[in-house]
Amino acid sequence: MSALPAWQNPGLARPVRRTPSLMQDSIDDEALAAAFSSKERWAFEAAYARFATLLYSTAYHVLGNAEDAQDCVHDALSRVWRSPDAYDRSRGAIRSFLTVCVRNEAITRLRSKQRRSRLHERVAAEPVEHDEIAVVDVVEHQRLRAAMARLPDEQRRPLELAYFEQKTHVEIAAQLEVPLGTIKSRIALGLRKLAMALGGTR
Amino acid sequence: MSAHIGEDAALYALGALEPHEAAAVEAHVEHCSACARLLAQAEDDVTAMVAAGPLVEPPAALAERILATPDASTPATGRQRSRVPRAAWFAALAAAIVVAVLPSAYVYRENLAMHHTMLADADAMARIATSPHRSTAFAGRDAHVMYAPDGSWYVVVIRGAKTPMHVVWPHDGERTMLGTAVPHGDVALLYLPKSHRMDQLALMSDGRVVAQAQLVF
Ligand SMILES: [Zn+2]
Repeated sequence: MSALPAWQNPGLARPVRRTPSLMQDSIDDEALAAAFSSKERWAFEAAYARFATLLYSTAYHVLGNAEDAQDCVHDALSRVWRSPDAYDRSRGAIRSFLTVCVRNEAITRLRSKQRRSRLHERVAAEPVEHDEIAVVDVVEHQRLRAAMARLPDEQRRPLELAYFEQKTHVEIAAQLEVPLGTIKSRIALGLRKLAMALGGTR
Repeated sequence: MSAHIGEDAALYALGALEPHEAAAVEAHVEHCSACARLLAQAEDDVTAMVAAGPLVEPPAALAERILATPDASTPATGRQRSRVPRAAWFAALAAAIVVAVLPSAYVYRENLAMHHTMLADADAMARIATSPHRSTAFAGRDAHVMYAPDGSWYVVVIRGAKTPMHVVWPHDGERTMLGTAVPHGDVALLYLPKSHRMDQLALMSDGRVVAQAQLVF
């Protein structure tokens, strides 16, 4: 088993005090989503203000450095905002929609970076070097690890490879030598169980 | 019609699909509301994972880049303001009670339904109105902030405001974006429930600090 990147290892992370109610304001997510989908400018800015830590963390975990993570969040949000049908409320909670947009943008960037590094005749894609980062809340961090550890191995392994190593289901199936359809089911089941363990649907 | 997305919802949300498969998911949920719900659930689940992992504070520079993002070239300019966020009204009435700076016409001008919504928040507003607070002016703008001595709430009022203004908290060499005060009439307000004391607030417009206030606790 390879060594954990710094951010997965709480021993290396510098804990910092969580700033209380950092981005809260009194507009609820529903009102924000409605205004965002009707392209009201304040909603774009308020969405960033509210979800900045979550979105930045999403990009950071995939890309491993501050510069790429900032570019990624900026580009993903700009694209969502500037596209004619930016966000439709039937797509679910705006918080989750934006998080997945940023994550998918980050993974796309990571893969193209790895392709480029392969083109430069490195033997394999180099693992992402993670800066040492200031984790906002180490207790929260432990929740994910603890919930993951409670999943059965056959669901945990493929979910880890998808979430932490950004592998595709094709790569995961090949690595674990399990048929594609089986891998999909195990990932889907593992994700649902994990989310429920983390406290319901939100 | 393409096949329902099934387990691909989870893989899409995790970013574990091949690009052509991800595109198929996006196309399918455009017209299948059952699958759109499935995908929304999977996206909530992945978001729960991110939120339960280590969180990293974004640098202040990113907020400035985001705020500088222009709108698309075909914005909804012809559209009337579709809905005043309820919170803006809450802030408006709270501030009116606290300092009576607003012409009453401003509060009552909009439709009656909104007015009833505001009344539903009367308990919270009464608490603000009756709790002791302090007030200090911003240097640089016709603006001030009222705040609870324990830092539990802040109301920023900006007069003569023509464009939205960002309220930020400068601390430890960084700026935390707290929210945007959007003008209605020519008064912009922002109500900020908080759980900590902020000894400095700043107003930003076009990426620049235009006013600052020192708060004494
Ligand atoms: Zn479907």
